[in-house]
Amino acid sequence: MTAALLEVEDLRAGYGSVPVLQGVSFSVAEGETAVMFGLNGAGKSTTVNTIAGLLKTWGGQVRFDGSPLTGLSTTEIVKRGISLSPEGRRVFPQLSVRTNLELGSWTRRSVQKEQMAKVFSYFPRLEERVDQLAGTLSGGEQQMLAIGRALMSKPRLLLIDEASLGLSPKLTQTVFQVVDQINDDGTTVVIVEQNVGVLPYADQALVMQKGTITFDGRGSDLHETGDLRAAYLG
Amino acid sequence: MHVVADTFSPQLHLVTPLISGLADGAAYGLFGLGLVLLYKSNRIFNFAQGEFATVAAIVAFLFDRGVGWVPKVPYFIAITFGVLAAVLVAMATERLVIRPLFHRPRVVLVVATVGVALFLVGVEGLLPYPQTASLRTISDALGVRSYLTQVDGVVVLDQDVAKLIVLAVLAVLAFLFFRYTHTGTAILAVSQDATAARVVGISVERVSMATWAIAGFLGGVAGVLLAVPPSGSVTPGAFTGLTLVVAFSAAVLGGMTSLPGAFVGGILIGLINAFANADHSFVPGLNSLPTSQAEVAVALVLLLVLLVRPRGLLGREA
Repeated sequence: MTAALLEVEDLRAGYGSVPVLQGVSFSVAEGETAVMFGLNGAGKSTTVNTIAGLLKTWGGQVRFDGSPLTGLSTTEIVKRGISLSPEGRRVFPQLSVRTNLELGSWTRRSVQKEQMAKVFSYFPRLEERVDQLAGTLSGGEQQMLAIGRALMSKPRLLLIDEASLGLSPKLTQTVFQVVDQINDDGTTVVIVEQNVGVLPYADQALVMQKGTITFDGRGSDLHETGDLRAAYLG
Repeated sequence: MHVVADTFSPQLHLVTPLISGLADGAAYGLFGLGLVLLYKSNRIFNFAQGEFATVAAIVAFLFDRGVGWVPKVPYFIAITFGVLAAVLVAMATERLVIRPLFHRPRVVLVVATVGVALFLVGVEGLLPYPQTASLRTISDALGVRSYLTQVDGVVVLDQDVAKLIVLAVLAVLAFLFFRYTHTGTAILAVSQDATAARVVGISVERVSMATWAIAGFLGGVAGVLLAVPPSGSVTPGAFTGLTLVVAFSAAVLGGMTSLPGAFVGGILIGLINAFANADHSFVPGLNSLPTSQAEVAVALVLLLVLLVRPRGLLGREA
């Protein structure tokens, strides 16, 4: 079995004084794609934001390649090889596509040229619009840019929060296929999703409910156990 | 408006206000650059910007004259110390006041900058030095005549030319900084989405510190250039009164998100002020305007621009 690249153990976190994560534990093997399902408010985004260092850890631990990440700054976490494509895309609207991508390699400028070429191979549309302001891109293009920007630091682990939100079914499939290709090229991926259409691309499926993991297994098992139905219908 | 040609004096009605307007406008533009920079990055109006200028002027004065225990040093070293002091005060403001309040509503930060300004005015007032004095002009320090040339009998002062050159150079440098440097791009990124900036690994705290240091530098440069005779002084709070208000108008007129806008807004406000204050007796019906006509003219132009183009002349949403 492949060694775990990401290990999350009894993770607790929240906003202000409101706890959201009530002890989340899971691990993701290197080279795999894990998909995290769950209703709004289940704690999916909180989980990936805490892993990425945007939120403070209240308790528990996150280990990446065997080393603890607790207490590290986002800058240090990106340097270690974890990159996040955040919910809502959060591109820099008044900066060009090129500058957005260049900012993605802020911590690793030495790989900028190589990664820019790679991003354009995944998303040729971005190369066509390289000098356009990011705020003028369509929703789908902004999603491509957000994922592309996250790839610019040549991460070993790519976290994608809500890849399909607001996208047409066709565009959603395109994004999922590119994510699958990114994974095939060696990047471990964790996707937070509400769209079960991503399941065929997932090696591992996780289901979150009320701040805890209620299912952790192979994607194909998820349908059979009924956990997915439980996650969405209660 | 009908100009009566035979009573119009180019020297009185054109050259004098043009020269004084450009010089004053350069001063407002210098202040405006610092204000716009902090607005772009932190989304706040920095009411302490005037005091960064005053601190620089006072420190430069102390070193230039060798007041009290402060050693007397050559003029250009003294003004360098002055500008450095402004940078340090700005960095301290960021670290001790802005950063702890950064996640509070913007209005809290704005009020905090008012507090910083009042605190600095108070500290300056405690310093034992001749508080109504002025810094030497550049021409005084160099021992050369005070004016560069005369245009139609109107003298063009060295100090005014220096202000214009420094403003132009700083505006170009600021443009190049934001366009071509990593730190400049990072400041723009943080100003647009601080969370996204964190996501890509930018240290928002470091960027904020760099931004305030630059704002302190701009304020400091403005201070050492403006605290000179005939109208400038090193009085505590010298640049937090009318100068700051007019500089805000310049920045808003040019566009609070545009660095070139601060330059353009400053020059425009300076020119409007000067031409409105000029003698208008040759224009029928305009010979009995009150003395506050310049402020009214600036306010009218500002209102007009804000009505037609709320983002200012060169501003855009950012």
